[in-house]
Amino acid sequence: MVGVLIRMKLAVLRHSTTDAKMALSGLGRTVGICLAVTTLVLACLDFSHPRLLMDLLAVTFALWALGWMVGPIFAGEPALNGEHFHRQPIPRRTLAMGLLAAALVAVTTAITLLAFCALIVFAARLSRAAVVVSVPAVVLLLLLVVLLSRVVTLLFRSLARSRLGGVVTATVTAAMVSLSSFSWVLIIGVSLLLEYGFPPAFSTVVRALPTSWGLLAVEAAGRGDWPWAVGPLVALAAVVVALFLAWSALLGPQRTARPVVRGSSAHKAARRGPLFRGDQGAVYLKELRTWWRDPVRTQGIVMGPAFSIITVLFPLIFGFTAGFPFVGAASALMAAATCANLYGQDGTALWLTLTIPGKEKADVRARQLAWLTVFGPLTLALTILGCLLHGDASLVPWALAGTLAALGGGSGLLAWVSVNALVPGPDPHKSKNSPMDHGDVTGQSFLMSFLVALVMCPALGVAWAGHALELPALLWASVPVALLTGVLCHVKLGSVAARTLRDKGPELLHLMRSGKPTSTTEGTGEDADTSPFTTMSGKRQTLMWSAMAVGILGLFPQGLAPLGIKLSGSPDKVWFLALHVPEPWQWPVIAVMIVIGLAGSWGAYLVYRTEKNRLRAAPLVASGTRG
Amino acid sequence: MAPSLEIAGLVKRFGDKTAVDHIDLNVPQGSFYGLVGPNGAGKTTALSMAVGLLRPDGGRALVHGVDVWEEPLRARRLMGVLPDGLAMPERLTGRELLTYLGQLHGLSAEEVDGRADELLAVMELDGSAERTLVVDYSTGMRKKIGLATTLLHAPKVLVLDEPLEAVDPVSAATIKRILKRFVEGGGSVLISSHVMALVEELCDTVGVMARGRVVAQGPLDEVRGGRSLEETFVDLVGVTIGGGEGLSWLAS
Repeated sequence: MVGVLIRMKLAVLRHSTTDAKMALSGLGRTVGICLAVTTLVLACLDFSHPRLLMDLLAVTFALWALGWMVGPIFAGEPALNGEHFHRQPIPRRTLAMGLLAAALVAVTTAITLLAFCALIVFAARLSRAAVVVSVPAVVLLLLLVVLLSRVVTLLFRSLARSRLGGVVTATVTAAMVSLSSFSWVLIIGVSLLLEYGFPPAFSTVVRALPTSWGLLAVEAAGRGDWPWAVGPLVALAAVVVALFLAWSALLGPQRTARPVVRGSSAHKAARRGPLFRGDQGAVYLKELRTWWRDPVRTQGIVMGPAFSIITVLFPLIFGFTAGFPFVGAASALMAAATCANLYGQDGTALWLTLTIPGKEKADVRARQLAWLTVFGPLTLALTILGCLLHGDASLVPWALAGTLAALGGGSGLLAWVSVNALVPGPDPHKSKNSPMDHGDVTGQSFLMSFLVALVMCPALGVAWAGHALELPALLWASVPVALLTGVLCHVKLGSVAARTLRDKGPELLHLMRSGKPTSTTEGTGEDADTSPFTTMSGKRQTLMWSAMAVGILGLFPQGLAPLGIKLSGSPDKVWFLALHVPEPWQWPVIAVMIVIGLAGSWGAYLVYRTEKNRLRAAPLVASGTRG
Repeated sequence: MAPSLEIAGLVKRFGDKTAVDHIDLNVPQGSFYGLVGPNGAGKTTALSMAVGLLRPDGGRALVHGVDVWEEPLRARRLMGVLPDGLAMPERLTGRELLTYLGQLHGLSAEEVDGRADELLAVMELDGSAERTLVVDYSTGMRKKIGLATTLLHAPKVLVLDEPLEAVDPVSAATIKRILKRFVEGGGSVLISSHVMALVEELCDTVGVMARGRVVAQGPLDEVRGGRSLEETFVDLVGVTIGGGEGLSWLAS
């Protein structure tokens, strides 16, 4: 069973890998290996605080486990799952064993194993006995995270079939993503830790997590304290076995019925309010009904605001409240990033749009308006609430400008990305019982957050100029500038998306029908209009996405954010590198970070443009050689 | 008189495989045309290209003389299309879906309500199924609501891919009667199927596809020439019927 399932998994992966997927996973692998090496290096360092190294390793292992739990929510279900085999007469225990073995054969597992070897490194610094203990500890730790990931995926899957469950899933996911992003504190704030160490309460909590038990055992073995060396290992093994049993129990067909959402009665279905007249009104009403009735959309609605709220609540530990006013803007940005697969989500339903004469524009516009209806009032209310709670009026124009620009930019980019970087997945009626079974939208979400952040730049730039020159009028002018960029984006990008939908509709439908882009356009002279994202080679995609990642990291969290904090005169350093260097160096570091950020973005754009030009030139070359 | 649907030299290649290889088809006005062929013959690909859902690598498709790919807006008004197994706006009820599509087709509110009422009643999708969302429909119900969407705007030509697959006999009888009435009223229907009996029962004209080509077409009696359509089909497609050999381990 084990060998069969491993071979089967490899075959599935071999047949479902496309160039773009390769590039993204290549990028992911690079990042993963960097993180693993960092973890290893961490275990080699010397700290003044004796307890600090253990605490740091405990937090790092917990973060790895968190990553394993969050991953499938964005990347979709694993290649092989229990559903595939539920008609075969295989005992669940055997199936679970086979699937576990297949799950272990993966690059992600290898990278994680590399990271967990930090435990062996740590043990080697203690004693030979500790090394002996550390080996089974690493194996158990690896099994723990893999099983945890699978069990959490299954739990989320059965939860996410209802709307209430969607709310729970989204909130938990948002909390985990937010918690993971707090690794900033570790990396940047390490100088603070070096001085004071973790607060004792914090380290007690972290050490109580099962991910730290292996560490406890190794440390005890180093001291020669055998009961404490064996105890945690046995406990860890017990948790692993319990997770395995839970997983094999959950593997079968789902036993709880999916809560069924009912539609409106005959009388209500036929009634049309003034808002819902005309083509756009019809699609708008359909979209609003879908937002209200579809558990997957419920998840989308909750995810952005939940992430933002949790993220601004975390720094309260440091008494930092300057994030409050921006909770609305961050919600809008996240909402755009997580809801960008508009057409991919609806699957092949596109055929109806393609068989009705000339309604592409109405379709795109109505979807934009529905998104704005769902998120506009919500994010603006959050912004106002955040500003009131924070109480400092000087941040209000920043917050308002950010929210308006993110909303307008989001609604425009959403439409554009949904047709230009569509991620195909199973049709909604086929995945109604497994809402986690969707295309891998990780890359699309990153792309969206980068683009929306870019659109927010002009307005925030004006606000910054107003602040720097001490001109309140200019500072407040950022709000109309945000409104203008937002409206422009909404209108222009929406029109471009509608045109793409009209011209490339059949290709998009084919992409969703077959899960692969059409490969037969060569020689027809249509290449010039194909999206560079779909044709770009793996290497170039890696380059573009890496450059973009550097761009985002440099520009926003490490460039503009500390800039804002410095300008607001707040003494908080939080996790921004620039604020931790001595005073005279702070401005240069911010400037360098912004330059790095801009360079990254520019690099990504250059790669994109080269590919676009190459595509334009290709048909000419082809016809030239033919003639 | 221009044929209600004319397919001329349509080609589609997927990689190395030619799924549809220069096919020509003529659906005369007022005819009930059945396109038959084994699985993988290219029926769905051909129909998708004919109705504007899949861009052909070459060739043309004309509906009442209007080119589907040159003048899509005019062509779409004339056609009612039902692809096989595709999604719909899933979170709407049947009535909401018909109302939505009727609005997009530019029908007046009264007209939409009247037609939706009649269509839902005929397809038995009202009453207890009234508030069920399309996502929760059974396969047969999905086919029926799909057919209702194709009829809603009163098209001149219906192009239906496997319209009776997975439909229960009672609903199938309803759908067959509707389609026959549509043809009697002057409309034309093109269906694809691999159920020979169904095609013999309904159609007056047939086309046989195999390996991406049309190997025979014409009036039903001419094509089958005194035999059953199934026998003719097996001859034309040039396959030997499997299942006689091997499998000795089965039920032994």
